[in-house]
Amino acid sequence: MTLPFPPSLLRQRDGPLTQELVLHPADFGLGQVPARLQPDATTNVVCGFCSTGCGLNVHLRDGHAINLTPTAEYPVNLGMACPKGWESLTPLASPDRAVTPLLRNARGELEPVDWDTALQVFTVRFKAIQDQHGPEAVAWLGTGQICTEELAFLGALGKFGMGMVHGDGNTRQCMATAVTAYKQSFGFDAPPFTYADFEESDVLVFVGSNLCIAHPILWQRVLRNRHQPEIIVIDPRRTETATAATRHYAIRPKSDLKLLYALAHILIQRGWIQRDYINQHTNGFDSFVGFVKEFAPEQVAADCGLSVEEINGLAESIHRGRRVSFWWTMGVNQGHEATRTTQALINLALMTGQIGRPGTGANSITGQCNAMGSRLFSNTTNLLGGHDFLNPDHRRKVATLLGIDLQRIPDRNSLAYDQILEGIERGQIKGLWVVATNPAHSWIHQEGCRDLLARLDFLVVQDMYANTETARQGHLVLPSAGWGEKEGTFINSERRIGLVKKVARAPGQALSDFSIFRLVAQYWGCGEIFKDWTSPEAVFQIMKRLSRGQPCDISGIRDYRMLDECGGIQWPWAGQAADGPGFPVSSSEYRHPGFGLPPETMNPELGTRSPELPPVERRLFADGVFFHPDGRARFLFEAPMDVGEPADAAFPFVLLTGRGTSAQWHTQTRTGKSAVLRQHYPEGIYVEIHPTDAQRLGVKANSNVVVASRRGALEARAFVTPSVQPGQIFIPMHYEATNRLTLARFDPYSRQPSYKACAVSVRPLE
Amino acid sequence: MRRDPSSSSIPDETITLVDALLAEQQSLTAVDKFSRSHDRHAEPVQTRYYRDLILLAKPGPGAQYAFEVDLDQCSGCKACVTACHSLNGLDEEETWRNVGLLHGGTFLKPVQRTVTTACHHCVDPACLNGCPVLAYEKDAVTGIVKHLDDQCIGCQYCVLKCPYDVPKYSERLGIVRKCDMCSSRLSAGEAPACVQACPNEAIRITVVDQASMSATYRESASATNLFLPGSPAPAYTVPTTRYRSAHALPESLAAADAQELHPQPAHTPLGFMLVLSQLSVGAFTLEQVLPQVVEYRAAPGLRPALGLAALGIGLLALGISTLHLGRPFGAWRAFLGLRRSWLSREIVVFGAFAGLALLHTGLLWFPPLQRTWLPDQLGWATVVTGWLGVFSSAMLYHDTQRAYWRLHSSGPKFMATATLLGAALALVLAVGTGSPSPLPASLALLVLFGTVAKLASEWPIFRHLQNEEFTPLHKTARLLEGRLGLMHRSRVALGLVGGILMPAVFALGMTSSRPAAPGSLLPFIHAALILLLSLGGELLERRLFFIAVQPVKMPGGIAA
Repeated sequence: MTLPFPPSLLRQRDGPLTQELVLHPADFGLGQVPARLQPDATTNVVCGFCSTGCGLNVHLRDGHAINLTPTAEYPVNLGMACPKGWESLTPLASPDRAVTPLLRNARGELEPVDWDTALQVFTVRFKAIQDQHGPEAVAWLGTGQICTEELAFLGALGKFGMGMVHGDGNTRQCMATAVTAYKQSFGFDAPPFTYADFEESDVLVFVGSNLCIAHPILWQRVLRNRHQPEIIVIDPRRTETATAATRHYAIRPKSDLKLLYALAHILIQRGWIQRDYINQHTNGFDSFVGFVKEFAPEQVAADCGLSVEEINGLAESIHRGRRVSFWWTMGVNQGHEATRTTQALINLALMTGQIGRPGTGANSITGQCNAMGSRLFSNTTNLLGGHDFLNPDHRRKVATLLGIDLQRIPDRNSLAYDQILEGIERGQIKGLWVVATNPAHSWIHQEGCRDLLARLDFLVVQDMYANTETARQGHLVLPSAGWGEKEGTFINSERRIGLVKKVARAPGQALSDFSIFRLVAQYWGCGEIFKDWTSPEAVFQIMKRLSRGQPCDISGIRDYRMLDECGGIQWPWAGQAADGPGFPVSSSEYRHPGFGLPPETMNPELGTRSPELPPVERRLFADGVFFHPDGRARFLFEAPMDVGEPADAAFPFVLLTGRGTSAQWHTQTRTGKSAVLRQHYPEGIYVEIHPTDAQRLGVKANSNVVVASRRGALEARAFVTPSVQPGQIFIPMHYEATNRLTLARFDPYSRQPSYKACAVSVRPLE
Repeated sequence: MRRDPSSSSIPDETITLVDALLAEQQSLTAVDKFSRSHDRHAEPVQTRYYRDLILLAKPGPGAQYAFEVDLDQCSGCKACVTACHSLNGLDEEETWRNVGLLHGGTFLKPVQRTVTTACHHCVDPACLNGCPVLAYEKDAVTGIVKHLDDQCIGCQYCVLKCPYDVPKYSERLGIVRKCDMCSSRLSAGEAPACVQACPNEAIRITVVDQASMSATYRESASATNLFLPGSPAPAYTVPTTRYRSAHALPESLAAADAQELHPQPAHTPLGFMLVLSQLSVGAFTLEQVLPQVVEYRAAPGLRPALGLAALGIGLLALGISTLHLGRPFGAWRAFLGLRRSWLSREIVVFGAFAGLALLHTGLLWFPPLQRTWLPDQLGWATVVTGWLGVFSSAMLYHDTQRAYWRLHSSGPKFMATATLLGAALALVLAVGTGSPSPLPASLALLVLFGTVAKLASEWPIFRHLQNEEFTPLHKTARLLEGRLGLMHRSRVALGLVGGILMPAVFALGMTSSRPAAPGSLLPFIHAALILLLSLGGELLERRLFFIAVQPVKMPGGIAA
């Protein structure tokens, strides 16, 4: 039977609405995509959120990014990305972007001005402060979020060009502890691992690391492990990672140092150590043996909130493993005795010989996309290229390589972040230049920080967004281009240098940080020093020269194009010579499906990876030779200290802070701009509290509570869950109010703030 | 933006540097400077990761494709959600997948599981069954439930019907859209976006047997939720997604947002449509019934006036209901779903009601025609069709399985609304046309009794406040008492004043020894206020009906 009308009259199977979503085979190996998202080219760009350093395959049309997918062959992420990576392009298009320089006018409002005015004011005001109070009265707070070349430019400009002495970065908040610990223990800030180690261990010990949420792609690498690994998580909270682990030790907050010493005690007692390795490659073991005698499991079990059997069981797991790796993140780094805690982990790896081989190591998982670049090249804690400001040879070397007057290089170290803020309090620092960070939200004891920023004579904030908590306090706001709008390199947690490319136009008059630094140099009158610093790639060549002969030697990397073709290159790479004595690396036997392997996935120009190209995954210390002059690693240890503010009758809870979800990044200036990411996390601030505590206090699920510390108070929704222990509460760090509560206490060596231990009270909101 | 160089201490060339750098900032260089990762015609490169996660063979007879989620592998990273969003080109706020959290267990062994969820491509899809225009189809081979975007009229009934909150309405397009398991990709041997993107290989495509799934969910006597703890009972639609875990999940697992109250969209046009259509049906009923019970002839104008007002209001109700549609011009296809959709039935029945009412009212106004036609039969037909429409309305909400909208609760409400508002309208017109006593007083009493019945029908929900469990009805009661308390109290006040107090006074006044002076406007104003206040009360009640209903849903995330 035929209908007297077309069937589509009754049922419209096609039309403009249907076509909007119809998928078409796309080119460039992408599979199907909707028509409006068909690219005409693709290119790999390293992600700009966290230190994992994933490769994102940006889909371009007319050179402009229209979409992205994780790069299938990139050796880091193997075709996957977390939601932040997937949404990387969205925050660029936010209406909150700063599009012109903004200057605070007589009425106290930020008012658009042109770049010329902004730069003149910048120069005049900072110079006036330096004239009146000395060059040290102007300082900067930098970041781990901009490109290495930009960090190097900022550091060189600040210290060598503008005469500043003090500059630090927000990496102080995340990585300073690992830096200090590695430098002291290994002789250089050298995370030894490569991500393949996640896949090659048979025992993985995670301390204070919620990998599933903070580094989802690294958790992907753990799940690719085919050795039925024991996955041990040491964390006060039953985090997503603790849930997914094979064993979880819910220790009491800040009892990790004692636990690690107890583990060392057991391993020594039972002879579960590698005497040969210790003798050949380390110093200080004998005194360490004496020191840990006091840390029998019976002594520490109660303090750690564990049973003696549990501690013994943990030591046995470490002993049984053939390839044991130790990993930590902010749960360790952000502690009042964090450097020693980190070194307690390093000690365990050294004494068991679990380092330098596949699947081993004492491995710091970094936070920000370019924290590692900042560590080597920001010219803050280290002189450019991992050099030492206190070392006259290093100063001379750098002065010669840069062609600058030796006197321009300070012969003393910068103040750390907290000390710069103290300098404001003491009236020594009057001008501050904040670049790509948001201290008015993120710094510990927030009210104190905001108060200090308000005391400055001149505060310049350089950021992508004009409405960050810090920008709102600035006298001058400089609009930055963001990730994807500029070129440069990032260095990820496994020392891999990856490339950022320009795939989107910056809005309005926003300029890359690199261009802003060029302009500042010019306006300041020190442009001559930076006459060769004309492009990020030119600075990359300068960085290569600075690194030559250092443990972080990258002189073998030809140029950006080589980085691009190799899928990133781990330092050190000095060419083939780098594999000679002094720069031992062990290539992973792990085979990658992508970069570096034939046949179909290789860049056809490159063919099979030739010997002059670096292997895809390499780790340090294969020969047990460390970077101290004697080639030995050091056992470093110290008696545990009390936390600054134990819980008491008035403030009976310990406040833990940390990452909330994988869709949130730090102070949310970017992740808050994506509607999709916003759907992934609770909009308002919430507090996790144990059911017994909630019941005792009369706190109903989802009701509002007041959380107070000696420094401030906030209101939050209660999420009643046994994943926190009684007597502890957890609040994600992404919410503006969280740091009203935290206590400004710092590790004495790394000056890293201890965000995860202060005393608070909780009560239902009336 | 240039300054006068002479007033500046800065050399002129720096100003040109600003311009040069601004220009350089706008040039995009990635393509020219760097290698391209892939040839234009490269095969999908992600295949190596998902090859084992999909099936290339089509399902056999009685079987279909289904998502399978390994709860032990899911770490809650939500890459699946963003990948689906990006690879399918969804709107900025649009997501077809979601990730929630189940938590519980014991204090010593707390358990939490993140749950990724999209369309479950049900064996018996509620969306499909409810669609008035057949904009859904279940693929005969793959079992994938597809939405025909150009067929959709944007009525959003599927949104109400789906217990898993799957269809998403787009304001921009005026239609809903939903997951189709990336059927186009699957048919080309590519994995759905979510499967491609999961770093932990937690989502895969499998084949399930439809009959055995139906049997498992519909014939099982088990009290436990065999689909997933903390989620809607699967017997309703037989969802095909399988959630696996190597560990037995404790029954105590609850959604992280289980205790969260979720106010729902007010659907204002629907609220007006319900109240006004019921008013119209009630008025037509009185128009037909009154001649049987009271002396009408004393006010010959009442009947046509009541008919005309009822017709006008009825047509207005139907007109307003189209405001709810994202694409009203396709609404004529609404008869297509008659076999299964109560919405289809409601639309068709009220359409017939409108036609009958028009004819009937026409006859009332043109008495010469009455001799050749059968006004009474037509009138009764209008009334019966109208009540069938009201019943269809009640059934279409009943059929969403939402507890607050069950027939035993909303049926009496809708009937009472029709009665009291019909009576109030008749009262106004009776006074206006000078109908003699006792008609106005009787109508006032009918308003009063109708309102008492109505308020009584709205009361039982508050019994659920006693529950400790956060059932949907408990949550509805808490919303009505808490966040919606002001609106609810206003509604009750309007009912008490406009539907009880004022009608009582009116009835007393009419029967008192001192009736209002002939020609006085006061009784008319009094009656009009009764109608307006009652109407206001009913509209508020219906607004609450929509906002306070609590649907079942898949586990959500932490609520804050």
